Amino acid sequence: MVYAFHCSLKMIMKGQKRKFPPEDVEVSDRCSPTWESQRQFVFSVSLSKYQRGQELPEPSLRRSVLIANTLRQISLEACRAPCVEREMSPCSSSSALQGKERESAFSEVTAAKHHSAVGFTNSHPALGSCPVPSSNYLSNCATNRCPASYHLNTSDVPLSVGDEDEDWGSMSTDPDFSLSAAISSILTALDSTIDGSPQAALRTPLRSLENLSRPSEGSMAGVKQGVRGYGGSWEQHQQQEEEEECRMRESNMEAMRSSYLSDLTVEDLFQDIDTSLLERDMGVLGFRGSGGGYPAGDDLLRYLPPFSPSSSTSSHPFSLSLNQNLKCLPSFSTFSPLSSSSCSSPSLSLQPSSPFSGQNHVREGLELEHLMEILVES
Amino acid sequence: VMWCFSQVKGAIDEDVAEADIISTVEFNYSGELLATGDKGGRVVIFQHEQESKNRPHLRGEYNVYSTFQSHEPEFDYLKSLEIEEKINKIRWLPQQNAAHFLLSTNDKTIKLWKISERDKRAEGYNLKDEDGRLRDPFRITSLRVPVLMPMDLMVEASPRRIFANAHTYHINSISVNSDHETYLSADDLRINLWHLEITDRSFNIVDIKPANMEELTEVITAAECHPHQCNVFVYSSSKGTIRLCDMRAAALCDRHSKFFEEPEDPSSRSFFSEIISSISDVKFSHSGRYMMTRDYLSVKVWDLNMENRPVETYQVHEYLRSKLCSLYENDCIFDKFECCWNGSDSAIMTGSYNNFFRMFDRNTRRDITLEASRESSKPRATLKPRKVSTGGKRKKDEISVDSLDFNKKILHTAWHPKDNVIAVAATNNLYIFQDKIN
Repeated sequence: MVYAFHCSLKMIMKGQKRKFPPEDVEVSDRCSPTWESQRQFVFSVSLSKYQRGQELPEPSLRRSVLIANTLRQISLEACRAPCVEREMSPCSSSSALQGKERESAFSEVTAAKHHSAVGFTNSHPALGSCPVPSSNYLSNCATNRCPASYHLNTSDVPLSVGDEDEDWGSMSTDPDFSLSAAISSILTALDSTIDGSPQAALRTPLRSLENLSRPSEGSMAGVKQGVRGYGGSWEQHQQQEEEEECRMRESNMEAMRSSYLSDLTVEDLFQDIDTSLLERDMGVLGFRGSGGGYPAGDDLLRYLPPFSPSSSTSSHPFSLSLNQNLKCLPSFSTFSPLSSSSCSSPSLSLQPSSPFSGQNHVREGLELEHLMEILVES
Repeated sequence: VMWCFSQVKGAIDEDVAEADIISTVEFNYSGELLATGDKGGRVVIFQHEQESKNRPHLRGEYNVYSTFQSHEPEFDYLKSLEIEEKINKIRWLPQQNAAHFLLSTNDKTIKLWKISERDKRAEGYNLKDEDGRLRDPFRITSLRVPVLMPMDLMVEASPRRIFANAHTYHINSISVNSDHETYLSADDLRINLWHLEITDRSFNIVDIKPANMEELTEVITAAECHPHQCNVFVYSSSKGTIRLCDMRAAALCDRHSKFFEEPEDPSSRSFFSEIISSISDVKFSHSGRYMMTRDYLSVKVWDLNMENRPVETYQVHEYLRSKLCSLYENDCIFDKFECCWNGSDSAIMTGSYNNFFRMFDRNTRRDITLEASRESSKPRATLKPRKVSTGGKRKKDEISVDSLDFNKKILHTAWHPKDNVIAVAATNNLYIFQDKIN
């Protein structure tokens, strides 16, 4: 999920850069459109810098912190600035959000995204009243989850219900980031359950896991991105400290986890997924599953982005949300090297108006399949 | 003071090898030695030659005294990361005997180097020939005392201590304490205190790492020991604050004794306010009464007795304030400029872009911009002051802001502790300038 937003951001940022060249003189007047365009430009540049920095094997901590702080400041200023003549009302919901707790804000953000993605535009009352002009904001808000320290502090970030299609569709068109990251996460999940040291190739994502004694469900993906940024990349050379950190992270995860998955069971989430193939492949890779799909399911569940528990009545939106999230993860059907299916989610129900372009998924599916083949055969 | 060119060291080649880029410059306590470190992990030490008796009005030149490989690239197998061999800082120890000692550090490891001279050789051993072969014992008929004979000067550098594995993050500063026994090393989040004799242990005295790394918003950017009070040190942060700590107060100096911060000017607030407030260097004055900090656009002198604002502020390149967005895009806004005092604390110097460097006289409040370039490199040629035109009309000899070369940045400068001799590192070249002696 988090990776998805990174993809969409990259896409948008490329366009953003061309659209808004830097102004020579910074406009201090918040109401002017120049200020707004400057703000957006700086935001997009900051975002791409942050991401590029994080992709380096060892990002400069000072640089990352400065960019992250700038991003946060811009996001805050975005909501503080009076929303100029756009379609909607000022961010009246921001105050409502500000009072909420970390976890609930996080889940609301998530909920809005999921819901809007499937067309439930105003399902969440607090968020529905503060939509935002352009699709840029979705990426803006989305990335508040991605950089390390945002998703918890910027509770008053406006959310977009705008051009969702574009964003969801673009999620899967960034091959290097989402694909490799998604595969790595799946592989490390498998690895971590197998006794033995992970291969060198898996070190990058493993770093973010090293600080956790056991990955927890659901909320991991969102937090992992943040962890990856700071905590994950720098190991403790003292064992005690590491354990302490694991405990801290675990407790954080516990808090988050409880708010997401309380109304869901593993069965609900996986009802549409054919885990038999997965199980077989787990066995191929040496994973000792215990018969049912649950151990495998558990592992995979850890890498799924968190779901809001608020609309647990119907499983339909969840499976759809799951589908869309899974677009960024290797589909289960592609785990099997023998599978000829190249579509990422043949067994998952999709609305006809699915924003995903099939072509992208075929491509992604083929690449994933190829990668899985290599891994299985090695 | 009129500055003139003295020497330039380094290749003239337009194609600069990354390893040759100078990353630190430091005079020793007497000014006799000048050390440079580069990105390739090498240290080059220049020695001041005695003024020639024929021409006493000219200062002596600095010539290469010793070159050695201080740090090698390393590989952290646990994290699959390469550790750069780039020398981040060199600090000399006060001289206590014939040998010279310096500390050099890369991102992770600090090394104590001994630089010693050998200009005599013992000759006339009883058991060995001059070429080292063992003499046949039956041939030895008499005993002789070996005699010391002069030989060509040989300067040897040997690593005496290696202080490793104490920093998880990148070391940005080292500073020798006034007790000459301890020194501190600072990385992004922690400061450690070492004893020069003990390499397997260090005391952690500052730790600003949050329990949850996602809450990290501030890092340590520089640290220095007080020149006279061995219990006092300061460290600066990426948020433009300086904390002065007293090691007598507690073992862990997380609580500062003094907190220096200038309140932000609301009229100049921008998206980049925090980034440009990040302090890149902090230096105590020789007197110990003041300290100087360098942020992106200015240099500030603080009185240690006044925490709420600096006593002096000097604009280094205010014309860049309107260009911050572009400088952010091309990453120049993250450049870390250093600053230095002259021996009497009456003047300060710092670098800028286009190979310009700036000097400020604290008494007369006059400032000057000079350029380190090959064009003005004629022996004893007086340096012409440079000016950057900010308005629309560009006068003759002025350079416009848009013509500045942002790849030519002077990040490292050093001022001789006693004389008006300065060393300016311009990418891979080291320029030495001195005042005009009439």
